[in-house]
Amino acid sequence: MNRHDRDRDPFLFRTEQLCKLYPDGQVHAVEDVNISIRRGEYVAIMGPSGSGKSTLLNLLGALDRPTSGDVYFDGEPLSRVKNVDRMRSQTLGFVFQSFYLLPILTAIENVQVPMFEGPLSTSARIARAKELLDLVGLSHRINHMPQKLSVGERQRVAIARSLANEPIALLADEPTGNLDSVAAEGIFELFAHLHRKQGMTIVLITHDEEFGHRAQRTIRMQDGHIKSDMFTERKKIRTPLPPFAV
Amino acid sequence: MRFHTFVLKNVLRRRVRSSLTVVGMAVAVGAVVALVGISRGFERSFLAIYQRQKVDLIIQQRGVKQKLTSVLDAKLGDQIAKVQGVKTVNSGLVDFTSMDELGPVGVLVQGWEANSPLMTELNIVAGRHLDASDKNSVLLGERLATSLEKKAGDTINIFDNETYTIRGVFKGTTVYENGSMVVLISDLQRFMGRPDQVSGFTVVVDRPDDKAEIERIRHEIEAFGKNLEVTPTTEFVNSTTEILFIRAMAWLTSAIALVIGTVGMLNTMVMSVFERTREIGILRAIGWGRWRVVRMILMESILLSIVGGIVGTAGAVLLIHILSNQPAASGMIDSYVAPGVIAQGFIIALCVGLLGAAYPAYRGAQLLPTEALRHE
Repeated sequence: MNRHDRDRDPFLFRTEQLCKLYPDGQVHAVEDVNISIRRGEYVAIMGPSGSGKSTLLNLLGALDRPTSGDVYFDGEPLSRVKNVDRMRSQTLGFVFQSFYLLPILTAIENVQVPMFEGPLSTSARIARAKELLDLVGLSHRINHMPQKLSVGERQRVAIARSLANEPIALLADEPTGNLDSVAAEGIFELFAHLHRKQGMTIVLITHDEEFGHRAQRTIRMQDGHIKSDMFTERKKIRTPLPPFAV
Repeated sequence: MRFHTFVLKNVLRRRVRSSLTVVGMAVAVGAVVALVGISRGFERSFLAIYQRQKVDLIIQQRGVKQKLTSVLDAKLGDQIAKVQGVKTVNSGLVDFTSMDELGPVGVLVQGWEANSPLMTELNIVAGRHLDASDKNSVLLGERLATSLEKKAGDTINIFDNETYTIRGVFKGTTVYENGSMVVLISDLQRFMGRPDQVSGFTVVVDRPDDKAEIERIRHEIEAFGKNLEVTPTTEFVNSTTEILFIRAMAWLTSAIALVIGTVGMLNTMVMSVFERTREIGILRAIGWGRWRVVRMILMESILLSIVGGIVGTAGAVLLIHILSNQPAASGMIDSYVAPGVIAQGFIIALCVGLLGAAYPAYRGAQLLPTEALRHE
């Protein structure tokens, strides 16, 4: 029985009195935040700069440690997870505003980088990277270096890389922040596709109201607090499919 | 893509950073190999002067630890030769002279008897040996002849502008011999104003393996005068001031080279890894564990250290070779670099490279991904 099949906490992410205090500024980037995100949910986090969106996303993704409170992932508190690196590697995918591609690697090589932590053989890694680049519409650009790709294509490579280890959830921090509207539209379509077809849990930060409203749920933050938490989709949250289920 | 392919690409495709790191490592390794090589060569060559002569006993003025300042009566040689068990006795006078062509560098001058085995066994590569009738004649070491651009048959002005004829050029076994000159002892005595005086004697015994016999001969010779100090060659080599001085200098130079080289290598590697903290954050954020990050950096640093070691060692050997052929070196630098010195440079490069990379890699890997990503 694998992690996708067993009985699980209904919430993939849950926070309890989550606080993050940056010691230099003595400012609560996140204060007493309690949220729950179900499997397969598509959540947009919105709010002005400095409202704590990125800090919250980093805490959900175990990229950062809370000052107090805890994050529960799949019912398990992250503070008790022995190997957070492994948990992050095998269950979460990250997409950043600045893409963070390695400039010395081609598109297909960049996608393979996270797979070193997985069980795949070299040939299987290459096959999977090709499959993912095909999924994001870049099968014709696999051997291009990042600097030879448009910014939209770079973000697609970054999304393909985030899916390398078949994550349960995708966390994206302003993934379209550096893109023009056409490229941004393509990225949101890709997220919608991953959510709709593969049941991927998606939590993303965006400043764009229109894109924000395409998510099922919008959490608005201000001064480190949750200002509002609204379901923007009329229909019920559907039962998620396992990631990459055919 | 395999993990080690990724590591290799990381090194090869970041040409500027890799080149700068290699250059930094190479300079440090080169400094160590060159300085240690030169100082060890200096020591080795000096020791070889004594060891080559295959003598069993060295006789000098008591209390004098330097050949140059020792003064003994030349007639003592006849007495020593009569001691039972003594095979041959060779007298010698040593001095340094300066030459306009070589600037302030002094040239070692050895004064020997024409029939001394030291003279007759010299490996003459041009011209001939000196014989007893060769007044105002000189033999030049090969390197000295090259530096002076002189050959057998030419003349040179030495000893306060006296004209000497170069009778031959010899190839010595050490860099010092090759940078020295040999004259008849009578000429050197005249120049030094030390008629009938020598710096010392070397004695070859009939039974060199019989230690008791050597001890007996030693005591017998010492009985000739209170001012005589008779020392077995090995003991002499290890106690003479020149050797002790050379060893101290070699040790000091090597130690300074090692400290400077090590700090240089550490600095290069630490800086090259520190500036990758953000990259470490990216790798951690996309799923890499701490130890994979550390492994990647260490593998890269080994690769860069090896290349730096090769470039640095090759550069050092070339540099020593070029320097040793400069007139200013005047036979003072041996161009031979011992394999041990090269191995030492390599081992230091590898160890220090690894150490220099391990700390910042470990530190970077211990940071939370968000902390590493914020690093500028």
